[in-house]
Amino acid sequence: MTSRTSHNARFGAPENAMVFAAGIRKSYGHFEVLKGVDLEVPEGNVACIIGPSGSGKSTFLRCINHLEEINGGVLLVDGDFVGYRLNGNKLYELPPAAICARRAEIGMVFQQFNLFPHMTVMGNLIEAPVRVRGERPAAARERAMTLLERVGLAQKHDAYPRSLSGGQQQRVAIARALAMKPKVLLFDEPTSALDPELVGEVLTVMKDLAQSGMTMVVVTHEIGFAREVADQLIFMDEGVVVERGSPREMIASPQSRRTKEFLARVL
Amino acid sequence: MADSAYKAPANATDTTALVVVPLRHPFRIAAITMVVISVAAILYSVFTNKEFQWPIVGHYMLNPIILRGLATTITLTVAVMIIAVIIGTIAALMMLSPSRLLSVPARVFVWLFRGAPALVQLILWYNLSIVFKTITLWLPGVGTIFSVQTNDVMTPMTAAIVALSLHEAGYMAEIVRSGLNSVVRGQTEAALSLGMRPALSIRRIVLPQAMRLIIPPTGNEAINLLKTTSLVSIIAVGDLLYSAQAIYARTFETLPLLIVVTIWYLITVSVMSFGQYHLERYFSKDDRKTGRGRSRGILRRIFSFRQRAAVA
Repeated sequence: MTSRTSHNARFGAPENAMVFAAGIRKSYGHFEVLKGVDLEVPEGNVACIIGPSGSGKSTFLRCINHLEEINGGVLLVDGDFVGYRLNGNKLYELPPAAICARRAEIGMVFQQFNLFPHMTVMGNLIEAPVRVRGERPAAARERAMTLLERVGLAQKHDAYPRSLSGGQQQRVAIARALAMKPKVLLFDEPTSALDPELVGEVLTVMKDLAQSGMTMVVVTHEIGFAREVADQLIFMDEGVVVERGSPREMIASPQSRRTKEFLARVL
Repeated sequence: MADSAYKAPANATDTTALVVVPLRHPFRIAAITMVVISVAAILYSVFTNKEFQWPIVGHYMLNPIILRGLATTITLTVAVMIIAVIIGTIAALMMLSPSRLLSVPARVFVWLFRGAPALVQLILWYNLSIVFKTITLWLPGVGTIFSVQTNDVMTPMTAAIVALSLHEAGYMAEIVRSGLNSVVRGQTEAALSLGMRPALSIRRIVLPQAMRLIIPPTGNEAINLLKTTSLVSIIAVGDLLYSAQAIYARTFETLPLLIVVTIWYLITVSVMSFGQYHLERYFSKDDRKTGRGRSRGILRRIFSFRQRAAVA
Protein backbone atom coordinates (compact mmCIF):
# COMPACT_ATOMS: atom_id res chain seq x y z
CA MET A 1 0.00 0.00 0.00
CA THR A 2 2.80 2.45 0.73
CA SER A 3 6.32 2.82 -0.55
CA ARG A 4 7.58 3.29 3.00
CA THR A 5 9.00 0.30 4.81
CA SER A 6 6.72 -0.76 7.62
CA HIS A 7 8.27 -0.90 11.07
CA ASN A 8 5.35 -2.96 12.36
CA ALA A 9 7.28 -6.25 12.41
CA ARG A 10 10.29 -4.73 14.19
CA PHE A 11 8.16 -3.52 17.11
CA GLY A 12 6.10 -6.67 17.35
CA ALA A 13 2.96 -5.25 15.74
CA PRO A 14 0.84 -7.32 13.35
CA GLU A 15 1.45 -6.62 9.67
CA ASN A 16 -2.05 -5.15 9.19
CA ALA A 17 -1.93 -2.77 12.19
CA MET A 18 -2.98 0.73 11.05
CA VAL A 19 -2.46 2.26 14.49
CA PHE A 20 -0.01 0.66 16.89
CA ALA A 21 0.79 2.17 20.28
CA ALA A 22 2.95 0.53 22.92
CA GLY A 23 3.70 1.98 26.35
CA ILE A 24 2.74 5.56 25.46
CA ARG A 25 3.75 8.02 28.16
CA LYS A 26 2.93 11.71 28.24
CA SER A 27 3.50 14.30 30.97
CA TYR A 28 2.67 17.95 31.42
CA GLY A 29 5.42 19.11 33.75
CA HIS A 30 5.33 16.71 36.70
CA PHE A 31 1.81 15.52 35.96
CA GLU A 32 1.76 12.25 34.05
CA VAL A 33 -1.37 12.12 31.86
CA LEU A 34 -0.60 8.85 30.08
CA LYS A 35 1.15 6.09 32.02
CA GLY A 36 1.89 3.48 29.38
CA VAL A 37 -1.06 3.11 27.01
CA ASP A 38 -1.20 0.28 24.47
CA LEU A 39 -3.48 0.15 21.43
CA GLU A 40 -3.65 -1.92 18.28
CA VAL A 41 -6.12 -1.07 15.55
CA PRO A 42 -5.99 -3.32 12.46
CA GLU A 43 -6.76 -1.75 9.10
CA GLY A 44 -10.51 -1.33 8.59
CA ASN A 45 -11.34 -1.72 12.28
CA VAL A 46 -13.11 0.69 14.63
CA ALA A 47 -11.80 1.22 18.15
CA CYS A 48 -13.87 3.16 20.68
CA ILE A 49 -12.21 4.70 23.71
CA ILE A 50 -14.42 5.53 26.69
CA GLY A 51 -13.61 6.79 30.15
CA PRO A 52 -14.29 9.60 32.62
CA SER A 53 -13.08 13.10 31.74
CA GLY A 54 -9.46 13.60 32.69
CA SER A 55 -8.66 9.96 31.99
CA GLY A 56 -6.25 10.95 29.19
CA LYS A 57 -8.29 9.55 26.30
CA SER A 58 -8.36 12.82 24.31
CA THR A 59 -4.66 13.42 24.98
CA PHE A 60 -3.90 9.92 23.70
CA LEU A 61 -5.90 10.58 20.54
CA ARG A 62 -3.98 13.83 19.95
CA CYS A 63 -0.70 11.93 20.37
CA ILE A 64 -1.65 9.67 17.45
CA ASN A 65 -1.45 12.56 14.94
CA HIS A 66 1.38 14.25 16.84
CA LEU A 67 -0.62 17.29 17.94
CA GLU A 68 0.92 16.30 21.28
CA GLU A 69 4.43 14.92 21.52
CA ILE A 70 4.83 11.71 23.47
CA ASN A 71 7.47 11.33 26.17
CA GLY A 72 7.87 7.57 25.89
CA GLY A 73 6.73 4.50 24.00
CA VAL A 74 6.33 3.61 20.35
CA LEU A 75 3.53 4.99 18.19
CA LEU A 76 3.20 3.80 14.60
CA VAL A 77 0.56 4.84 12.09
CA ASP A 78 0.50 2.60 9.02
CA GLY A 79 3.82 1.16 10.13
CA ASP A 80 5.72 4.42 10.54
CA PHE A 81 6.39 7.11 13.12
CA VAL A 82 4.47 10.37 12.70
CA GLY A 83 6.93 12.90 14.11
CA TYR A 84 10.20 11.00 13.67
CA ARG A 85 12.38 9.14 11.20
CA LEU A 86 13.85 5.87 12.40
CA ASN A 87 17.43 5.20 11.42
CA GLY A 88 19.11 2.30 13.17
CA ASN A 89 18.31 2.81 16.83
CA LYS A 90 17.88 6.55 16.58
CA LEU A 91 14.67 8.55 16.15
CA TYR A 92 15.37 11.80 14.34
CA GLU A 93 12.83 14.53 14.93
CA LEU A 94 11.26 15.50 11.60
CA PRO A 95 11.02 19.10 10.35
CA PRO A 96 7.48 20.61 10.40
CA ALA A 97 6.95 20.10 6.66
CA ALA A 98 7.60 16.35 6.92
CA ILE A 99 5.38 16.00 10.01
CA CYS A 100 2.61 17.77 8.14
CA ALA A 101 2.89 15.42 5.19
CA ARG A 102 2.44 12.48 7.60
CA ARG A 103 -0.39 14.23 9.44
CA ALA A 104 -2.27 14.76 6.19
CA GLU A 105 -2.84 10.99 6.12
CA ILE A 106 -4.47 11.05 9.55
CA GLY A 107 -7.87 12.73 9.61
CA MET A 108 -9.20 14.30 12.79
CA VAL A 109 -12.69 15.38 13.81
CA PHE A 110 -12.96 17.68 16.82
CA GLN A 111 -15.53 18.12 19.56
CA GLN A 112 -15.93 21.80 18.63
CA PHE A 113 -16.00 21.07 14.84
CA ASN A 114 -13.32 23.74 14.22
CA LEU A 115 -14.58 24.57 10.74
CA PHE A 116 -12.89 27.62 9.22
CA PRO A 117 -15.55 30.33 9.72
CA HIS A 118 -14.19 32.65 7.02
CA MET A 119 -14.59 30.05 4.28
CA THR A 120 -17.68 28.50 2.75
CA VAL A 121 -18.38 24.81 3.23
CA MET A 122 -16.77 24.19 -0.18
CA GLY A 123 -13.78 26.35 0.82
CA ASN A 124 -13.33 24.29 3.98
CA LEU A 125 -13.31 21.07 1.97
CA ILE A 126 -10.90 22.06 -0.79
CA GLU A 127 -8.45 24.16 1.25
CA ALA A 128 -6.12 21.34 2.30
CA PRO A 129 -6.38 19.20 -0.88
CA VAL A 130 -5.47 22.24 -2.99
CA ARG A 131 -2.89 23.89 -0.71
CA VAL A 132 -1.28 20.81 0.81
CA ARG A 133 -1.67 18.14 -1.86
CA GLY A 134 -1.56 20.52 -4.83
CA GLU A 135 -4.77 19.16 -6.37
CA ARG A 136 -6.39 21.18 -9.14
CA PRO A 137 -9.27 23.25 -7.65
CA ALA A 138 -11.79 21.92 -10.19
CA ALA A 139 -10.97 18.30 -9.37
CA ALA A 140 -10.98 18.99 -5.62
CA ARG A 141 -14.36 20.74 -5.95
CA GLU A 142 -15.86 17.79 -7.79
CA ARG A 143 -14.67 15.33 -5.16
CA ALA A 144 -15.84 17.64 -2.38
CA MET A 145 -19.36 17.60 -3.86
CA THR A 146 -19.32 13.79 -3.79
CA LEU A 147 -18.27 13.87 -0.13
CA LEU A 148 -20.94 16.44 0.73
CA GLU A 149 -23.55 14.21 -0.93
CA ARG A 150 -22.28 11.36 1.20
CA VAL A 151 -22.87 13.33 4.42
CA GLY A 152 -26.16 14.66 3.01
CA LEU A 153 -25.18 18.33 2.70
CA ALA A 154 -24.59 18.85 -1.03
CA GLN A 155 -27.07 21.74 -1.11
CA LYS A 156 -25.09 23.59 1.61
CA HIS A 157 -21.81 23.83 -0.34
CA ASP A 158 -22.13 27.61 -0.66
CA ALA A 159 -23.10 28.30 2.97
CA TYR A 160 -20.83 29.63 5.69
CA PRO A 161 -20.36 27.35 8.73
CA ARG A 162 -22.04 29.88 11.04
CA SER A 163 -25.36 29.36 9.26
CA LEU A 164 -25.35 25.59 9.83
CA SER A 165 -26.62 23.64 12.82
CA GLY A 166 -24.12 21.85 15.06
CA GLY A 167 -24.92 18.50 13.49
CA GLN A 168 -24.49 19.88 9.99
CA GLN A 169 -21.20 21.52 10.97
CA GLN A 170 -19.86 18.25 12.34
CA ARG A 171 -20.88 16.41 9.15
CA VAL A 172 -19.01 19.05 7.12
CA ALA A 173 -16.00 18.56 9.43
CA ILE A 174 -16.11 14.81 8.72
CA ALA A 175 -16.31 15.49 4.97
CA ARG A 176 -13.37 17.92 5.30
CA ALA A 177 -11.26 15.23 6.98
CA LEU A 178 -12.27 12.71 4.29
CA ALA A 179 -11.24 15.13 1.53
CA MET A 180 -7.60 14.36 2.38
CA LYS A 181 -8.23 10.62 1.76
CA PRO A 182 -6.92 9.71 5.21
CA LYS A 183 -5.77 6.20 6.11
CA VAL A 184 -7.27 6.56 9.56
CA LEU A 185 -9.83 8.90 11.10
CA LEU A 186 -9.60 10.11 14.70
CA PHE A 187 -12.76 11.37 16.41
CA ASP A 188 -12.42 13.44 19.60
CA GLU A 189 -15.84 13.30 21.29
CA PRO A 190 -17.57 14.23 18.01
CA THR A 191 -21.08 14.43 19.48
CA SER A 192 -20.39 15.93 22.91
CA ALA A 193 -21.00 19.52 21.83
CA LEU A 194 -24.26 18.72 20.04
CA ASP A 195 -27.86 19.16 21.10
CA PRO A 196 -29.33 15.71 21.83
CA GLU A 197 -31.59 15.68 18.76
CA LEU A 198 -28.60 16.33 16.46
CA VAL A 199 -26.41 13.48 17.75
CA GLY A 200 -28.15 10.87 15.58
CA GLU A 201 -27.33 12.43 12.20
CA VAL A 202 -23.60 12.55 13.02
CA LEU A 203 -23.56 8.97 14.34
CA THR A 204 -25.33 7.81 11.15
CA VAL A 205 -22.54 9.29 9.03
CA MET A 206 -19.93 7.65 11.28
CA LYS A 207 -21.65 4.26 11.05
CA ASP A 208 -21.72 4.57 7.28
CA LEU A 209 -17.98 5.32 7.32
CA ALA A 210 -17.23 2.35 9.55
CA GLN A 211 -19.18 0.05 7.24
CA SER A 212 -17.24 1.34 4.23
CA GLY A 213 -14.06 0.00 5.84
CA MET A 214 -12.52 3.22 7.24
CA THR A 215 -10.11 2.66 10.12
CA MET A 216 -11.42 4.74 13.01
CA VAL A 217 -10.36 5.58 16.55
CA VAL A 218 -13.29 7.19 18.37
CA VAL A 219 -13.20 8.83 21.78
CA THR A 220 -16.86 8.97 22.77
CA HIS A 221 -19.50 8.85 25.44
CA GLU A 222 -22.01 7.17 23.08
CA ILE A 223 -22.04 3.66 24.53
CA GLY A 224 -24.80 2.62 22.11
CA PHE A 225 -22.66 3.59 19.13
CA ALA A 226 -19.68 1.75 20.59
CA ARG A 227 -21.70 -1.42 21.12
CA GLU A 228 -23.12 -1.35 17.61
CA VAL A 229 -20.11 -0.23 15.55
CA ALA A 230 -16.84 -0.82 17.41
CA ASP A 231 -14.64 -3.87 16.89
CA GLN A 232 -12.95 -3.20 20.20
CA LEU A 233 -13.79 -1.13 23.22
CA ILE A 234 -11.15 0.43 25.46
CA PHE A 235 -11.89 1.81 28.89
CA MET A 236 -9.31 4.30 30.14
CA ASP A 237 -8.99 5.82 33.59
CA GLU A 238 -6.21 7.88 35.16
CA GLY A 239 -3.85 7.48 32.21
CA VAL A 240 -4.02 3.71 31.84
CA VAL A 241 -6.16 1.23 29.91
CA VAL A 242 -8.22 -0.43 32.62
CA GLU A 243 -10.08 -2.88 30.43
CA ARG A 244 -10.41 -3.74 26.76
CA GLY A 245 -12.32 -6.26 24.71
CA SER A 246 -15.33 -6.89 22.54
CA PRO A 247 -17.85 -4.08 23.15
CA ARG A 248 -20.88 -6.33 23.65
CA GLU A 249 -19.19 -8.54 26.25
CA MET A 250 -17.56 -5.63 28.02
CA ILE A 251 -20.76 -3.60 28.27
CA ALA A 252 -22.78 -6.63 29.33
CA SER A 253 -20.29 -7.92 31.91
CA PRO A 254 -17.44 -5.55 32.74
CA GLN A 255 -14.64 -7.28 34.65
CA SER A 256 -13.08 -4.32 36.46
CA ARG A 257 -14.82 -2.47 39.28
CA ARG A 258 -13.93 0.91 37.75
CA THR A 259 -15.43 -0.07 34.38
CA LYS A 260 -18.59 -1.22 36.14
CA GLU A 261 -18.92 2.06 38.00
CA PHE A 262 -18.33 4.14 34.86
CA LEU A 263 -20.81 2.18 32.74
CA ALA A 264 -23.39 2.38 35.49
CA ARG A 265 -23.08 6.15 35.41
CA VAL A 266 -23.29 6.67 31.63
CA LEU A 267 -25.83 3.97 30.66
CA MET B 1 -63.44 46.92 12.52
CA ALA B 2 -66.57 46.18 10.55
CA ASP B 3 -66.40 42.40 11.07
CA SER B 4 -65.55 42.72 14.75
CA ALA B 5 -67.66 40.53 16.98
CA TYR B 6 -67.75 43.34 19.49
CA LYS B 7 -70.86 45.51 19.12
CA ALA B 8 -70.51 48.88 20.78
CA PRO B 9 -73.56 50.23 22.64
CA ALA B 10 -75.35 53.01 20.73
CA ASN B 11 -74.36 55.73 23.24
CA ALA B 12 -70.60 54.79 23.31
CA THR B 13 -67.91 57.12 21.88
CA ASP B 14 -66.91 56.33 18.34
CA THR B 15 -63.39 54.82 18.64
CA THR B 16 -62.32 56.21 15.27
CA ALA B 17 -62.84 59.72 16.61
CA LEU B 18 -60.09 59.31 19.27
CA VAL B 19 -56.95 61.39 18.72
CA VAL B 20 -53.54 60.60 20.26
CA VAL B 21 -51.80 63.74 21.59
CA PRO B 22 -47.98 63.25 21.49
CA LEU B 23 -46.05 64.01 24.67
CA ARG B 24 -44.37 67.43 24.48
CA HIS B 25 -40.62 67.64 25.12
CA PRO B 26 -40.15 71.29 26.16
CA PHE B 27 -36.51 70.85 27.29
CA ARG B 28 -35.58 69.13 24.08
CA ILE B 29 -37.10 71.96 22.07
CA ALA B 30 -35.25 74.51 24.22
CA ALA B 31 -31.96 72.66 23.73
CA ILE B 32 -32.45 72.41 19.97
CA THR B 33 -33.23 76.12 19.82
CA MET B 34 -30.04 76.97 21.69
CA VAL B 35 -27.95 74.76 19.42
CA VAL B 36 -29.46 76.26 16.28
CA ILE B 37 -28.88 79.82 17.53
CA SER B 38 -25.28 79.05 18.56
CA VAL B 39 -24.43 77.37 15.27
CA ALA B 40 -26.00 80.23 13.32
CA ALA B 41 -24.05 82.76 15.39
CA ILE B 42 -20.76 80.91 14.88
CA LEU B 43 -21.34 80.53 11.12
CA TYR B 44 -22.34 84.18 10.86
CA SER B 45 -19.21 85.39 12.65
CA VAL B 46 -16.97 83.03 10.67
CA PHE B 47 -18.33 84.05 7.28
CA THR B 48 -18.69 87.77 7.95
CA ASN B 49 -15.41 88.25 9.84
CA LYS B 50 -13.03 89.72 7.27
CA GLU B 51 -10.03 88.30 9.16
CA PHE B 52 -10.91 84.80 7.91
CA GLN B 53 -10.30 86.07 4.38
CA TRP B 54 -12.27 83.36 2.59
CA PRO B 55 -11.22 84.46 -0.88
CA ILE B 56 -7.61 83.84 0.17
CA VAL B 57 -8.57 80.38 1.47
CA GLY B 58 -10.04 79.62 -1.95
CA HIS B 59 -6.94 81.02 -3.62
CA TYR B 60 -4.54 78.72 -1.71
CA MET B 61 -6.61 75.53 -1.78
CA LEU B 62 -4.97 74.37 -5.02
CA ASN B 63 -1.67 76.23 -4.59
CA PRO B 64 1.22 74.03 -5.89
CA ILE B 65 3.21 74.40 -2.67
CA ILE B 66 0.21 73.33 -0.60
CA LEU B 67 -0.50 70.40 -2.94
CA ARG B 68 3.15 69.30 -2.78
CA GLY B 69 2.91 69.46 1.01
CA LEU B 70 -0.26 67.37 0.90
CA ALA B 71 1.52 64.81 -1.31
CA THR B 72 4.39 64.65 1.19
CA THR B 73 1.96 64.14 4.07
CA ILE B 74 0.19 61.31 2.23
CA THR B 75 3.47 59.71 1.12
CA LEU B 76 4.80 59.88 4.65
CA THR B 77 1.59 58.35 6.07
CA VAL B 78 1.57 55.50 3.54
CA ALA B 79 5.29 54.74 3.93
CA VAL B 80 5.16 54.83 7.72
CA MET B 81 2.01 52.70 7.84
CA ILE B 82 3.46 50.02 5.53
CA ILE B 83 6.71 49.82 7.51
CA ALA B 84 4.81 49.88 10.82
CA VAL B 85 2.51 47.03 9.74
CA ILE B 86 5.48 44.89 8.68
CA ILE B 87 7.56 45.58 11.81
CA GLY B 88 4.45 45.36 14.02
CA THR B 89 3.45 41.98 12.59
CA ILE B 90 6.96 40.62 13.09
CA ALA B 91 7.01 41.96 16.67
CA ALA B 92 3.56 40.44 17.31
CA LEU B 93 4.67 37.02 16.05
CA MET B 94 7.78 37.31 18.21
CA MET B 95 5.71 38.21 21.27
CA LEU B 96 3.60 35.09 20.73
CA SER B 97 6.66 32.87 20.34
CA PRO B 98 7.11 30.23 23.05
CA SER B 99 10.80 31.26 23.19
CA ARG B 100 11.49 34.02 25.70
CA LEU B 101 14.56 35.06 23.73
CA LEU B 102 12.14 36.23 21.04
CA SER B 103 9.16 37.38 23.11
CA VAL B 104 11.04 39.49 25.67
CA PRO B 105 12.95 41.66 23.13
CA ALA B 106 9.67 42.20 21.24
CA ARG B 107 7.94 43.31 24.43
CA VAL B 108 10.81 45.68 25.27
CA PHE B 109 10.61 47.10 21.73
CA VAL B 110 6.90 47.80 22.11
CA TRP B 111 7.35 49.25 25.58
CA LEU B 112 10.13 51.58 24.44
CA PHE B 113 8.76 52.91 21.14
CA ARG B 114 5.13 53.08 22.17
CA GLY B 115 5.99 54.65 25.50
CA ALA B 116 8.13 57.54 24.31
CA PRO B 117 6.19 60.47 22.76
CA ALA B 118 6.30 60.70 18.96
CA LEU B 119 7.58 64.28 19.02
CA VAL B 120 10.48 63.38 21.31
CA GLN B 121 11.41 60.41 19.10
CA LEU B 122 11.29 62.62 16.00
CA ILE B 123 13.75 65.11 17.45
CA LEU B 124 15.94 62.31 18.83
CA TRP B 125 16.30 60.58 15.45
CA TYR B 126 16.85 63.91 13.72
CA ASN B 127 19.75 64.54 16.09
CA LEU B 128 21.19 61.02 15.83
CA SER B 129 24.48 62.39 14.53
CA ILE B 130 25.22 63.80 17.99
CA VAL B 131 25.71 60.29 19.38
CA PHE B 132 26.62 58.34 16.23
CA LYS B 133 28.90 60.37 13.95
CA THR B 134 29.09 57.68 11.29
CA ILE B 135 27.06 54.59 10.41
CA THR B 136 29.33 51.70 9.43
CA LEU B 137 28.72 48.10 8.38
CA TRP B 138 31.72 46.10 9.46
CA LEU B 139 32.07 42.34 9.24
CA PRO B 140 34.83 40.41 11.01
CA GLY B 141 37.33 39.10 8.46
CA VAL B 142 35.83 41.21 5.67
CA GLY B 143 36.40 44.64 7.06
CA THR B 144 34.36 47.77 6.45
CA ILE B 145 31.69 47.28 3.77
CA PHE B 146 30.37 50.80 3.83
CA SER B 147 30.57 53.81 6.06
CA VAL B 148 28.52 57.01 5.84
CA GLN B 149 28.24 60.22 7.77
CA THR B 150 25.08 60.09 9.90
CA ASN B 151 24.25 63.64 8.88
CA ASP B 152 24.21 62.63 5.20
CA VAL B 153 21.77 59.77 5.78
CA MET B 154 19.57 61.20 8.47
CA THR B 155 17.76 63.77 6.36
CA PRO B 156 14.61 65.26 7.90
CA MET B 157 12.48 62.88 5.79
CA THR B 158 14.48 59.79 6.86
CA ALA B 159 14.32 60.84 10.50
CA ALA B 160 10.57 61.35 10.15
CA ILE B 161 10.00 57.94 8.53
CA VAL B 162 12.21 56.09 11.01
CA ALA B 163 10.81 57.76 14.12
CA LEU B 164 7.15 57.56 13.17
CA SER B 165 7.49 53.98 11.82
CA LEU B 166 9.00 52.68 15.05
CA HIS B 167 6.45 54.56 17.15
CA GLU B 168 3.56 53.29 15.05
CA ALA B 169 5.01 49.75 14.91
CA GLY B 170 4.69 49.61 18.69
CA TYR B 171 0.95 50.21 18.41
CA MET B 172 0.56 47.87 15.43
CA ALA B 173 2.34 45.06 17.31
CA GLU B 174 -0.25 45.21 20.09
CA ILE B 175 -3.14 45.35 17.61
CA VAL B 176 -1.85 42.38 15.58
CA ARG B 177 -1.06 40.40 18.75
CA SER B 178 -4.54 40.80 20.20
CA GLY B 179 -6.03 39.92 16.80
CA LEU B 180 -3.99 36.73 16.52
CA ASN B 181 -4.79 35.83 20.13
CA SER B 182 -8.50 36.12 19.44
CA VAL B 183 -8.44 33.19 16.99
CA VAL B 184 -9.12 30.06 19.04
CA ARG B 185 -6.46 27.37 19.31
CA GLY B 186 -8.78 24.82 17.69
CA GLN B 187 -8.48 26.61 14.34
CA THR B 188 -4.71 26.06 14.25
CA GLU B 189 -5.16 22.45 15.37
CA ALA B 190 -7.72 21.81 12.64
CA ALA B 191 -5.36 23.28 10.05
CA LEU B 192 -2.41 21.25 11.34
CA SER B 193 -4.46 18.06 11.43
CA LEU B 194 -5.24 18.59 7.75
CA GLY B 195 -1.51 18.58 7.07
CA MET B 196 -1.08 22.33 6.70
CA ARG B 197 2.34 23.64 7.67
CA PRO B 198 2.44 26.19 10.56
CA ALA B 199 3.28 29.07 8.21
CA LEU B 200 0.46 28.12 5.81
CA SER B 201 -2.05 27.77 8.65
CA ILE B 202 -1.14 31.23 9.95
CA ARG B 203 -1.46 32.75 6.48
CA ARG B 204 -4.64 31.00 5.34
CA ILE B 205 -6.52 30.26 8.56
CA VAL B 206 -5.41 32.45 11.48
CA LEU B 207 -4.53 35.78 9.83
CA PRO B 208 -7.75 36.14 7.76
CA GLN B 209 -9.79 35.60 10.91
CA ALA B 210 -7.58 37.91 12.95
CA MET B 211 -7.96 40.55 10.21
CA ARG B 212 -11.53 41.27 11.23
CA LEU B 213 -10.25 42.38 14.61
CA ILE B 214 -7.08 43.98 13.26
CA ILE B 215 -8.58 46.12 10.46
CA PRO B 216 -10.81 48.53 12.43
CA PRO B 217 -8.15 49.67 14.94
CA THR B 218 -5.55 49.76 12.13
CA GLY B 219 -7.81 52.13 10.19
CA ASN B 220 -8.04 54.32 13.25
CA GLU B 221 -4.25 54.19 13.60
CA ALA B 222 -3.77 55.23 9.96
CA ILE B 223 -6.14 58.15 10.41
CA ASN B 224 -4.40 59.18 13.64
CA LEU B 225 -1.04 58.81 11.93
CA LEU B 226 -2.06 61.15 9.12
CA LYS B 227 -2.67 63.82 11.71
CA THR B 228 0.43 62.92 13.75
CA THR B 229 2.62 63.49 10.67
CA SER B 230 1.99 67.21 11.13
CA LEU B 231 4.59 66.95 13.94
CA VAL B 232 7.32 66.56 11.30
CA SER B 233 7.02 70.26 10.48
CA ILE B 234 9.15 70.69 13.65
CA ILE B 235 12.15 69.10 11.91
CA ALA B 236 11.53 70.94 8.62
CA VAL B 237 9.97 68.16 6.55
CA GLY B 238 7.89 69.85 3.84
CA ASP B 239 4.53 68.37 4.80
CA LEU B 240 1.14 70.04 4.51
CA LEU B 241 1.46 72.09 7.70
CA TYR B 242 5.10 73.08 7.00
CA SER B 243 4.19 74.25 3.46
CA ALA B 244 1.43 76.44 4.86
CA GLN B 245 3.80 77.80 7.50
CA ALA B 246 6.35 78.54 4.78
CA ILE B 247 3.79 80.61 2.92
CA TYR B 248 2.32 82.54 5.85
CA ALA B 249 5.78 83.28 7.19
CA ARG B 250 6.16 85.45 4.11
CA THR B 251 2.61 86.74 3.58
CA PHE B 252 1.25 86.80 7.16
CA GLU B 253 -2.01 85.22 5.91
CA THR B 254 -1.83 82.90 8.92
CA LEU B 255 -5.48 82.10 9.53
CA PRO B 256 -6.58 81.48 5.93
CA LEU B 257 -3.68 79.12 5.38
CA LEU B 258 -4.39 77.18 8.58
CA ILE B 259 -7.98 76.83 7.37
CA VAL B 260 -6.68 75.49 4.06
CA VAL B 261 -4.60 72.94 5.99
CA THR B 262 -7.58 71.96 8.17
CA ILE B 263 -9.82 71.48 5.14
CA TRP B 264 -7.25 69.25 3.41
CA TYR B 265 -6.77 67.13 6.55
CA LEU B 266 -10.54 66.73 6.88
CA ILE B 267 -10.91 65.73 3.22
CA THR B 268 -8.12 63.14 3.50
CA VAL B 269 -9.45 61.72 6.78
CA SER B 270 -12.96 61.41 5.27
CA VAL B 271 -11.61 59.52 2.27
CA MET B 272 -9.67 57.20 4.59
CA SER B 273 -12.76 56.55 6.76
CA PHE B 274 -14.66 55.57 3.65
CA GLY B 275 -11.90 53.13 2.66
CA GLN B 276 -11.80 51.68 6.16
CA TYR B 277 -15.53 51.04 6.07
CA HIS B 278 -15.19 49.00 2.86
CA LEU B 279 -12.24 47.01 4.24
CA GLU B 280 -14.26 46.15 7.33
CA ARG B 281 -17.14 45.00 5.18
CA TYR B 282 -14.83 42.81 3.12
CA PHE B 283 -13.38 41.04 6.15
CA SER B 284 -16.75 40.35 7.76
CA LYS B 285 -18.29 38.78 4.66
CA ASP B 286 -19.22 35.50 6.38
CA ASP B 287 -21.30 37.55 8.82
CA ARG B 288 -23.27 39.25 6.08
CA LYS B 289 -24.04 36.09 4.13
CA THR B 290 -25.97 34.74 7.10
CA GLY B 291 -27.96 37.95 7.40
CA ARG B 292 -26.39 38.83 10.73
CA GLY B 293 -24.74 41.87 9.21
CA ARG B 294 -22.76 43.73 11.81
CA SER B 295 -21.62 46.57 9.59
CA ARG B 296 -24.42 48.78 8.41
CA GLY B 297 -24.06 51.69 6.01
CA ILE B 298 -21.70 54.33 7.31
CA LEU B 299 -24.29 57.04 6.77
CA ARG B 300 -26.89 54.96 8.52
CA ARG B 301 -24.48 54.39 11.39
CA ILE B 302 -23.91 58.11 11.71
CA PHE B 303 -27.61 58.85 11.52
CA SER B 304 -28.68 55.82 13.53
CA PHE B 305 -30.74 58.00 15.87
CA ARG B 306 -33.16 58.43 12.97
CA GLN B 307 -33.81 54.70 12.82
CA ARG B 308 -34.43 54.50 16.51
CA ALA B 309 -36.75 57.47 16.29
CA ALA B 310 -38.66 55.79 13.47
CA VAL B 311 -39.09 52.63 15.55
CA ALA B 312 -40.28 54.59 18.57
